[in-house]
Amino acid sequence: MINVALPKGRLGERVYKLFEKAGCKIFVQSGFPLNNSKDRRLVFEDENFCSVGVRFFWVKPFDVPIYVERGVADIGASGKDILLERGADIYELLDLKTGYCKMAVAAKNDFKDNPEKILRVATEFPNIAQNYYDKIGREIDIITLRGSVELAPILGLSDVIVDIVETGTTLRENNLGVINTIADLSARLIANKSSYKFKREKINEIIRSLND
Amino acid sequence: MLNIKMLRSEEIAALKLRELYELHGYSFYRMKRFEEYDFYANKKDFLTSKSILTFTDLNGKLMALRPDVTLSIIKGIKNSSDVQKFYYDEKVYRSGKNEKNSFREISQAGIECVMPEKTEKNFNDENICEVIELALLSLETLAKGRKYILDVSNAGLIAELLTREKSSFNPEPEKILKCLAEKNIHELENLNAPDEFIELAKIEGNINDALTKLKNMNLKGAENFADIINSETLRKYHGKINVDFSTVNNLNYYNGIIFRGYIEGIPESILSGGQYDNLMSLMGHKNSRAIGFAVYIDLIEMKGGEND
Repeated sequence: MINVALPKGRLGERVYKLFEKAGCKIFVQSGFPLNNSKDRRLVFEDENFCSVGVRFFWVKPFDVPIYVERGVADIGASGKDILLERGADIYELLDLKTGYCKMAVAAKNDFKDNPEKILRVATEFPNIAQNYYDKIGREIDIITLRGSVELAPILGLSDVIVDIVETGTTLRENNLGVINTIADLSARLIANKSSYKFKREKINEIIRSLND
Repeated sequence: MLNIKMLRSEEIAALKLRELYELHGYSFYRMKRFEEYDFYANKKDFLTSKSILTFTDLNGKLMALRPDVTLSIIKGIKNSSDVQKFYYDEKVYRSGKNEKNSFREISQAGIECVMPEKTEKNFNDENICEVIELALLSLETLAKGRKYILDVSNAGLIAELLTREKSSFNPEPEKILKCLAEKNIHELENLNAPDEFIELAKIEGNINDALTKLKNMNLKGAENFADIINSETLRKYHGKINVDFSTVNNLNYYNGIIFRGYIEGIPESILSGGQYDNLMSLMGHKNSRAIGFAVYIDLIEMKGGEND
């Protein structure tokens, strides 16, 4: 049995659909195992998938790398943004080619950078932001927020934001625009290093079936 | 009569390892628990964790609680052309992997096989094979019937490939090394890394296939690497050895074989080591050779998920 950590929410559901497409059969009841169903179970299994069996569990997206790094899950699906932010000691075995978006720097359309001043950066991803500005040698003041980051430049809390941009609609509607792209993101299949040593064939079989 | 049952499993494991190393002619190396801070400050890249626990000595000197054992041993060895073999069983003080803001006391045992002045007849592949065999035997001792694997890689081959392909790639070497460590083939492709690195990242499984692939890359060090893996000492362990280039230690210090050991059910590597001639020469022992490894004994009690 291979334990799989899936991120709660849209990305996890897309990844689960990939497993379903690869032949994974979970007992379906009013939409279960997807999150929009009434079923509140957190763990579900298909004993026969890929001849090895899989056990899925939903966890907070930000926690997927932890479950995998600590070996509670053998593999997991995580957005690249979270991997970059957390820097887990894991294998990144496959680009799942879903959940495409960008990590970008955005600001108000009339924003002009003043290099004499410390740049105020609001973000949910302080490590990514810090690394990016360290690399280009710019001193910044990081303001870590837990959501609604777009609000920060509008209210004058920050000069720019470092955030995930999918279509850019939210930015446009709020008179904001992308200044720089930091990284291209998508969902990645990650594996615990030790699990991979002892379950390599099984994990690779799952990867093959997802990749077909 | 001492009742062995009162010992904790980590203590028993440490004693068993000491017995193993003694049997192979290694002698116990006792060292001070603290060194002057300066000693570590300019070798920070070598340390797994950058933070060092410091305090001021009674005469005002800044001291550090030992974050690493290898450096102290190298500092203490005498210049001679004899092979010197030491083992240790010590505590080191580092910030934990998952809590970056506090220090932990970590039990570490291990061996170092050093030769400060190189003369080929004394330090040869046999010493290297012996240390790798001891790494495998250490894993067997700690595994207590569970499966174990020693991932073997070669810092020299990676460095050789980086130098050879220098002209043909844009990405920074650190990015390539990070991808290798993550088996991240899609990212290597995105970076337009040379095909050889993608080949290297794909190497796993069957030892003969792996060694043939390496040979086909025309790397100078590949033959010696194959000789060591196929040596009489190591051939009997082929089921436990896995040639895998996701083990990437710091290339400024390591130059030859590097390896990492895993035990089924323990979520991270419990053993790590390699040949570090470069570190020796950085510490003033030019033309010397050295190889060793450390075992993180505390991890034997660490559990991953339920295993079935």
